Amino acid sequence: MKKPNQFIRNFCIIAHIDHGKSTLADRLMEHTGQVSKRDMEEQLLDSMDIERERGITIKLTPVRMFYDADDGNEYVFNLIDTPGHVDFTYEVSRSLAACEGAILIVDASQGIEAQTLANVYLALENNLEILPVINKIDLPSARPDEAKKEIEDVIGLDASYAPLVSAKDGTNIKEVLESAVKYFPPPEGDVDAPLKALIFDSYYDNYKGVILFVRLKDGKVDVGDKITTFRADKIYEVTEVGVFAPSMLPKNGLCAGEVGYIAASIKSIQDVAVGDTVINAENRAAEPLPGYKKVQSVVFCGIYPLDGSKFGDLKDALLKLQLNDASLVFEPDTSQALGFGFRCGFLGLLHMEIMQERLEREFNLDIITTAPSVSYKVIKTDSETVFVDNPSHLPPVSEIESMEEPIVHADIYSPPDYLGQIMDLCRDKRGIFEQMTYLDANRVKLEYRLPLNEIIFDFFDKIKSRTRGYASFDYEITGYEKSKLVKLDILLNGDVCDALSIIVHESSAYSRGRTLCENLKEAIPRQLFEIPVQAAVGGKIIARETVKAMRKDVLAKCYGGDITRKKKLLEKQKEGKKRMRTIGSVEVPSEVFMQILKTNDE
Amino acid sequence: MAGIYVHIPFCKQKCRYCDFTSFPDKTGFAESYMTCVYHEMAMRGEELKNYVFDTLYIGGGTPSVVDESYIAMLVAAAKKYFNMAENAEITIEMNPGTVSASKIALYKKCGINRFSVGLQTAVDSQLEDLGRCHNLSQFISCAKLLRGENFSVDVMIGLKNQSLEDIGKSIDVAAAYGASHVSMYALTPEDGTPVYTDYLNGELPDGDEVAEMYAYGVNKLKKLGFVRYEVSNFCKRGRESRHNLNYWRRGEYIGIGVSASSHIKNVRFTNTFDLDEYFKCIMTNRFPVIDSTEIDAEGRREEAAMLALRTAYGLNLAEFNAVHGCDFEKIYAEALKKNSRYLEISNGVLKIKDEFLYVQNTIICDFLK
Repeated sequence: MKKPNQFIRNFCIIAHIDHGKSTLADRLMEHTGQVSKRDMEEQLLDSMDIERERGITIKLTPVRMFYDADDGNEYVFNLIDTPGHVDFTYEVSRSLAACEGAILIVDASQGIEAQTLANVYLALENNLEILPVINKIDLPSARPDEAKKEIEDVIGLDASYAPLVSAKDGTNIKEVLESAVKYFPPPEGDVDAPLKALIFDSYYDNYKGVILFVRLKDGKVDVGDKITTFRADKIYEVTEVGVFAPSMLPKNGLCAGEVGYIAASIKSIQDVAVGDTVINAENRAAEPLPGYKKVQSVVFCGIYPLDGSKFGDLKDALLKLQLNDASLVFEPDTSQALGFGFRCGFLGLLHMEIMQERLEREFNLDIITTAPSVSYKVIKTDSETVFVDNPSHLPPVSEIESMEEPIVHADIYSPPDYLGQIMDLCRDKRGIFEQMTYLDANRVKLEYRLPLNEIIFDFFDKIKSRTRGYASFDYEITGYEKSKLVKLDILLNGDVCDALSIIVHESSAYSRGRTLCENLKEAIPRQLFEIPVQAAVGGKIIARETVKAMRKDVLAKCYGGDITRKKKLLEKQKEGKKRMRTIGSVEVPSEVFMQILKTNDE
Repeated sequence: MAGIYVHIPFCKQKCRYCDFTSFPDKTGFAESYMTCVYHEMAMRGEELKNYVFDTLYIGGGTPSVVDESYIAMLVAAAKKYFNMAENAEITIEMNPGTVSASKIALYKKCGINRFSVGLQTAVDSQLEDLGRCHNLSQFISCAKLLRGENFSVDVMIGLKNQSLEDIGKSIDVAAAYGASHVSMYALTPEDGTPVYTDYLNGELPDGDEVAEMYAYGVNKLKKLGFVRYEVSNFCKRGRESRHNLNYWRRGEYIGIGVSASSHIKNVRFTNTFDLDEYFKCIMTNRFPVIDSTEIDAEGRREEAAMLALRTAYGLNLAEFNAVHGCDFEKIYAEALKKNSRYLEISNGVLKIKDEFLYVQNTIICDFLK
């Protein structure tokens, strides 16, 4: 048995959104000479446009650094940047499995947030050593001692040795590096044992095929090796291995303890799954590494190509996204209104939004998405139980004995000033109050039982707007509960539009129906005839609005040379029409399908 | 048959809704400009030797703002450089605030036989709002000078604070003083014009109200004996604007002057919008064309349909099929079916039904690819 290189430290960073994770990571890279200050683009690791725009990390990104420590040795640091949002816990769990340590960043003025806690517990479950770092000490509102006390009170970690840093101006960065050397354990494993490498991420490169991001636990891998995975039956020859510096840098072989990438001309995305273990095909390891907890989708929506002929492109894009985000699930679906598309499952609303945005930006697809839904348990009169996440697949009312909906336990953290607003909101959302705890003078934890279908609608936006962004919120699904649920249909000119159907609680059907009709009335352009917009429950009309017939739509002064310009105007109008879907005889722009997400207040 | 359009880009002042090419502060350039126009006509005349032109339209801007002798020379130049038909229709646009008896006398003498007068509205406060430099009484004086002539009056709807009665008054005035033709347009708030601010502030009537005004105007004109022959154009029997009809029939025409457009041998082209550039080109014997597009077979069909469906004459299917060498009803079967409620075909002519003429864009769009 040969131990791995003892001068390697593999760690990740856990932090709440906006507590300075990416900035600290950049600073560490700068300090270890990985990149010069001059060459640094702001926030190196958040390379996706969406990440930079929103100031959040969605994908994990590994990077290797060299550090000359005070003990005279040169250390290799592998840092794996992780997302902070609750929806991306899955991503976090993947990076944790590749590390021995985690830096926990706590904002010196804000203390620990709910999402951070969830990830800290995840790290503890994975037996990671945790190094607290108090950031943003340059701020006038910084209270580092209180932050330390909170770490000790809430998590039970000794925070006395926590470095006090400012990632922004670079204060005390060296102390973080020294602490990493001192507190994080070196990798375990056996270099002489058969290869075992955990795939913690992957992406598709047009020239090299699928690139696997791996953490080697045992053994070695080099160019020319024949590899396979536990789940796959195909054998691949390794064409390139390397490390992240932070861009991919080819290297001669990877050893146990190291983090890097493997390219092996893997053409098919389906052949390799994140969480699987790479092994040597000629010297197979007996047992796979523990994979990841299989995650359950909680939010579902239909995704359709705007242009029906792009179905294949949409499928390819979803497959490629799934390659490095196994939490995305989808299956083909059809809608009378929208044609062929996919029913997709996500970990949460933000996850859904991000995926939609990535489809549009990275794959240049115009898509239509339907209202998000949760998975309902339907007990039929013949006592069969089915799960339904697509309102249009709900069995006829006569066949339904009862329905159950997923319930969550929600923790809401907020300054006490906003308690009233939060409680109002939770009441509106059918929440049941469970407990309230004062964490300190400025922070209260509210615990509620809430139906998930109320949360996926607009809960997050509302809680943020009612508390001026101060409150944070986390939830976990606790089970299913019986509920009086009904299917709300929308009829356009008398025809049911399946893509607009939603499942709602009986008590809110009337108000949702009315709001929806009002919003649709605004969103549907006037046409040559009058269009009734109706909401119905079980065949009974509960609300109605009318889109009046258009009365003026004509080009002024169509003279002389104007003709080319006038024709262009008409062609532009025609382009707009092309982007519409025809439901019965009504032409509907794709934005209409998002109206379902809007509410009238706020 | 073909037309000639000459653009006179000068004005006394810019109207608040105007986005045409006009230079209110550059009337001093009129002489140089007109010289260039004659020269451009000479160049084009050489090129279009085989054409017979049966209309000449002098538009703007405000053609009546430049000295009438330039206009007389312009008409003379047109007759000299182009083959003008004996009975050619020669129209000039006029602002009622810029005419005089001697001016109109010279226009008539040089051969102008049709006049287009920009009344816009008979309500002085609304004229002021539009930034027009004339009032109702000036229009009346002008119309009196035109007594017995073939003249058209422009009337606008969709103005700030405009009532149906105001529209009725404008039409009544035009009819009472002997107009043989009325063009009734809705004010279009173009981005970049002062009127656009009124629009943004919600001071202009909305689409429904304008539709109401239009319906009112159509009815009023009908009662006064004006027949609608195009969505915005009305005339007494036989008094259609031949020049404009040529546009809607996809006829050929040559545009002279800054910003003028042409359609010759299935190529549509446009002159520069820049006055200096125009001078420079003409003085170096170059055509000032900045944009030229050859219209392919499909484009020709689409244009023909789009233009013909604007008119009350509609689209003659047999004629269309002969010109374009295709079967209209086959090519546009889908559009015809989809819009069957709004269209009618009788005696081989396809028309948009009267009541849908004012919402024609939506229908016409379906005939574009």
